[in-house]
Amino acid sequence: MRYENLVYEQKPFDGVYVLDVHGHIGFEQGSQLGPHDGKSIVHTMDRMGVDAVCVSYSPGLRGDWKRGNDITAQVCGAYRGRVLGYAAPNPFHKDCDVSEYFAEDRGFVGIKIHGNIQGETPENDPRYAHAFELANKRKLPVLFHAWMPYEIDRAADVARQYPDLKVIIGHGGLTFAREHAVAVCKKYDNVYCDTAISSAPDGSIEWLVDKIGIDRVLYGSDMTFFDCIHTMGKIALAKLTDEEKEKIFGLNAKSLFGL
Amino acid sequence: MLRFIDARCMLGNRCIIREGDPNTKEDILELMDRCHIEKAVVYHAMAKESELPGGNMALVEETKDNDRFIRQWCALPSYFGEYLSAEDFFAAMKEHHVTSMRLLPKTCGYSLRPHVIGKLMDLAAQCRMPVFISLFEELTSDEVYDLCKAYPDVNFVVGNTGYRENRRLGPAVEQCDNLYLGTGNYVAHCGVELFCKYYGAERLVFDTGLPTGSATAAVSLIGYAEISREEKELIAHGNIERLLGEVTL
Repeated sequence: MRYENLVYEQKPFDGVYVLDVHGHIGFEQGSQLGPHDGKSIVHTMDRMGVDAVCVSYSPGLRGDWKRGNDITAQVCGAYRGRVLGYAAPNPFHKDCDVSEYFAEDRGFVGIKIHGNIQGETPENDPRYAHAFELANKRKLPVLFHAWMPYEIDRAADVARQYPDLKVIIGHGGLTFAREHAVAVCKKYDNVYCDTAISSAPDGSIEWLVDKIGIDRVLYGSDMTFFDCIHTMGKIALAKLTDEEKEKIFGLNAKSLFGL
Repeated sequence: MLRFIDARCMLGNRCIIREGDPNTKEDILELMDRCHIEKAVVYHAMAKESELPGGNMALVEETKDNDRFIRQWCALPSYFGEYLSAEDFFAAMKEHHVTSMRLLPKTCGYSLRPHVIGKLMDLAAQCRMPVFISLFEELTSDEVYDLCKAYPDVNFVVGNTGYRENRRLGPAVEQCDNLYLGTGNYVAHCGVELFCKYYGAERLVFDTGLPTGSATAAVSLIGYAEISREEKELIAHGNIERLLGEVTL
């Protein structure tokens, strides 16, 4: 009952390790309203008791990849240990090489692939191969925006080709394509699902845990598209044990990211 | 502990049910208990999905022994005798203690223009009955603005607002005093806080969208919002109590 009571009393999630594997910073052209810089997300994290968040720079996904990753690096440096970086490659720029972000400790912990806003590029497109090879060599997680069944399939193909990297299916475990995500998780040991979604019925996280096991579900918020709050509450009030909730909130991700 | 009244909940058997999703009235009540939701404004799945006249009556039957449910009927402008006339619809709502109505223009294939729903809206204005409608499912944000301007004496509660419509809904709220937004999946980062800052907590109404929406997410969103206790109370229950309390049917 510990985490239910935190929600009932509107208290922060102190005393449990919370690692958000699906975050963003930067202005979002299509929909955004709220603040989106490092300072504002750390403020939200502080008041909610979130220990760390892994982010990519949203405008860099659909715009200047170098500028985007450089800004991510700056924010990771400013909030060391609280904000962790995903380096995001761009498939259309032949000079794009994200390895420099991992050459020294600049706070980067993984790769972000968002093909559908990069000219509908398939998630397993060879133009992302340099990033996948880097992740495979370093055993890094790769977070895919994988909402549609075909996006999930392509992410699974990356898991098959590069067995040492870890695929995080962003969104897909809770969307209409959730059965697809479950099938992929059952087929490949290096595939995980996050909880980032704006709306899904109560019971959906419990369903996912039942299908793929507690160790494969990771807390992700999609902040700053969404608030991080509603998903934290959804996990806290789910019909799961406290130990299971702790795994979702951060213990699974801590292990996955080697933190 | 905040007290919540849910302004958007659907009872009854649905066509599409996924494994693990809440479905029965008992499921809904269990979630209401778990989330400390005292009461819910409810309409019937049959009325929305398949058979509006039968669904409205099924709601009466399903809620007759439980005062945690506040009845809402779905409206259908009838010009060929297929359903109750506007006057008879309101008389029946009075008889069955129904205190709000829901518009389903897209689902039921009717227009929101005055020559189609004008009579219903006139009667709603007369008895101060709030009118509910869901964004995306039934209309666009631009149509929300048009609806509020067409019937300025009717209070509209728009649910299923999502996180992508702020640039359209913000100006609509600013220019339409009779527009209220549901908070269920209004999950934009700091969206509740910014809405309260610019337009006031008086214009937000707590809802869940159960059973397809999430009550656990909805109560967390308001409970943890960085707004005052008074603002939370207005959103959680005060605003919907005021709107329903004005009904003189």
